[in-house]
Amino acid sequence: MPAIVVAAVVGVLFFLGYRYYSAYLANRIYALDPAFVTPAHQLTDGVDYVPTNKHVVFGHHFTSVAGAAPIVGPAIAVFWGWGPALAWIVLGTIFAAGVHDFGSLAVSLRHRARNIGSIAHDVISTRARTLFLLIIFFLLTLVNAVFAVVIGNLFVANPGAVIPIVVEIPIAIFIGQYIYKTRSAALVPSLVGVALLYALIWVGQQYPVDIAPLSEAIGIDNPRNLWVILLFAYTFVASRLPVWMLLQPRDYINSHQLFIALGVIGLGMLVGWNQIVAPVVNDVPADSPSIFPFLFITIACGAISGFHSLVSSGTTAKQIDKETDARYVGYMGAVGEGSLATGAVLAATAGVVASRADWDALYPDFNTASGGAVGNFVNGVAVFANNLLIPLDLAVIFAAVVVISFAATTMDTGVRLQRYIVQEIAEVAGWHRLARNLTWASLVAVAVPLAMALIPGGGDAGYTFGVLWRLFGTTNQLTAGLALTVVAVWVLRMKRNPLPAVVPLVFLLAMTTWALFIQFWDFVEAEGRSERFVLAPLDGIIFVLALWLIVEAAMALRKGAARREYDDMGSPLDADVDTGEARQ
Amino acid sequence: MTTRVVLVRPWRDARVGSSCCGGGDARHGICFDERVDISTEHDAEKDLVAQVYLRLRDELPDVDVQIVGAENTAYLVPTVFRAVHRRRGVRAALAEVNRATTAGSVLFNGERLGDVITLGAGGVVKEVRRRVAQIAG
Repeated sequence: MPAIVVAAVVGVLFFLGYRYYSAYLANRIYALDPAFVTPAHQLTDGVDYVPTNKHVVFGHHFTSVAGAAPIVGPAIAVFWGWGPALAWIVLGTIFAAGVHDFGSLAVSLRHRARNIGSIAHDVISTRARTLFLLIIFFLLTLVNAVFAVVIGNLFVANPGAVIPIVVEIPIAIFIGQYIYKTRSAALVPSLVGVALLYALIWVGQQYPVDIAPLSEAIGIDNPRNLWVILLFAYTFVASRLPVWMLLQPRDYINSHQLFIALGVIGLGMLVGWNQIVAPVVNDVPADSPSIFPFLFITIACGAISGFHSLVSSGTTAKQIDKETDARYVGYMGAVGEGSLATGAVLAATAGVVASRADWDALYPDFNTASGGAVGNFVNGVAVFANNLLIPLDLAVIFAAVVVISFAATTMDTGVRLQRYIVQEIAEVAGWHRLARNLTWASLVAVAVPLAMALIPGGGDAGYTFGVLWRLFGTTNQLTAGLALTVVAVWVLRMKRNPLPAVVPLVFLLAMTTWALFIQFWDFVEAEGRSERFVLAPLDGIIFVLALWLIVEAAMALRKGAARREYDDMGSPLDADVDTGEARQ
Repeated sequence: MTTRVVLVRPWRDARVGSSCCGGGDARHGICFDERVDISTEHDAEKDLVAQVYLRLRDELPDVDVQIVGAENTAYLVPTVFRAVHRRRGVRAALAEVNRATTAGSVLFNGERLGDVITLGAGGVVKEVRRRVAQIAG
């Protein structure tokens, strides 16, 4: 089947989801009211709280949630066949992610744009705040670890990408300084930055950087691990710099790359009329992880991502002009991410190879599929680019540069956010010196994910990556579970139908705990020390957090059915419930 | 036609980080009481933009005022291009699109009036008031 036809069908389904299901959520479940005075109006300060046009907010919201994560999961999950992967992406986006992203935004609007952790503290329990911090701590630890491994693998596989990516850093800093000091327009310098980056692809191709000899000379057997160490050393420094100095200009360059990459994928698919050669449902080897529950944690971002609740509730909610805009911004953010994930599925099933036999060679077992997933996506996009007459060897480096750029930005921001979390946890625990010392907090934020990326690093690359990725998926789904619990309790206390939030909540928690349980015993029974002494305890901790969340959710829903703390439109009846003004 | 003024955020008022699971100004989504030290990331120019914004809303309530990040090309490029293209052609529109992405810019119906630092809060309000009167007259 032509990939472009599948993309069109998915597009129609997403449109129907937005047109009908999000309208149902807006009118019947979240009861959006165009006359409601949003926090942006209540607390206008011209800095954070600013009533903003919905297209502007969507621009900010979408660039905040779209990136490398919805590429990796789907590129692994096609191992079970493109049918199940795409079905979970489409159904997840429409019935889970849409409800979650839109719901987090709606509930935050009714709580003075406070973040989901603060609201959980009020609507679930005081313990929920600690639970929130712990889940996010593990989420960010695993995000930073997996993306360090992703970049390390891509650098080893595509040494031509090293020069463009490394030189992008001084280019971004120079552009940032130039724009700031000369007060000049930002568009042309950033486009020049993109052009320079792509010119460096040619340089990179001529001068590939292979650090294997250096790695061997200093006694590190796996060159990927040396890249991982270098990456964390870099993020330690980068996370201490002001956002505007490096992150913002690099993001600006990346935002152009996002549009270019989406254009190349769509146009290349159309011009090349590439056929999907992978099976709809793959007949996987008997020792593979089963589709239930592992598909549903392998694809987290792209079907539902708990991280979106942090962006929706903390930042986006402060800029919503009319409450009814939340439908467009929140639901469409989820649809945008689902579209990226669909592109990843098509690149890994139609772009990367021309025949079924070739595809089988790339996805013979789960470990190979996990280890090669990002590379398969890169090669798939390269084939689409090649349809547009870009030489294949340059196209491969181009695609690798795009993915690494996004992954590196995720690490930059991820380590910075981890530092905030370390400081928050330290404050809660009473370790004030750690909370207020940026160097120590940054060191903790770097050391923990570095250890995670290195400890299981001795084994097979695919296995290592697959394990970390699945653990990351579970924590992302738990974050989504916490946000969905908040949304469900809020809806229930409005005496409205909580099922649109409860059904994905129950499904996610069931899949997550099931997967964690199976993995725990796999780690315990494994022969490696890192499995038994690192991964098993980590899995066990996340499992306990999942059980804790289930108990909190059940208690909150039970209590929510009996109490009424909100009016029919979702605003708190009791002023004590809403203490957002003081906090914000 | 709605009269729209767009204020482009100062460059150091950086708030976007792209990528799922790391993007956005997520510190607001994480920190409960703003206890973490973000003083190195605070910029006085954003207070000036805020002042301009509040004065425009207060003194010219019929004008639609938006604050947009310089990096929000998905909004700025088509909006400014459409607005200027009608009156002054493609080349001028492209030049205006580029100028519009200057941090701290004040755009009046897509056209750049200057920047908040040079004009100051009073200057921006005065200039916008003059342009509104021109349209009305």
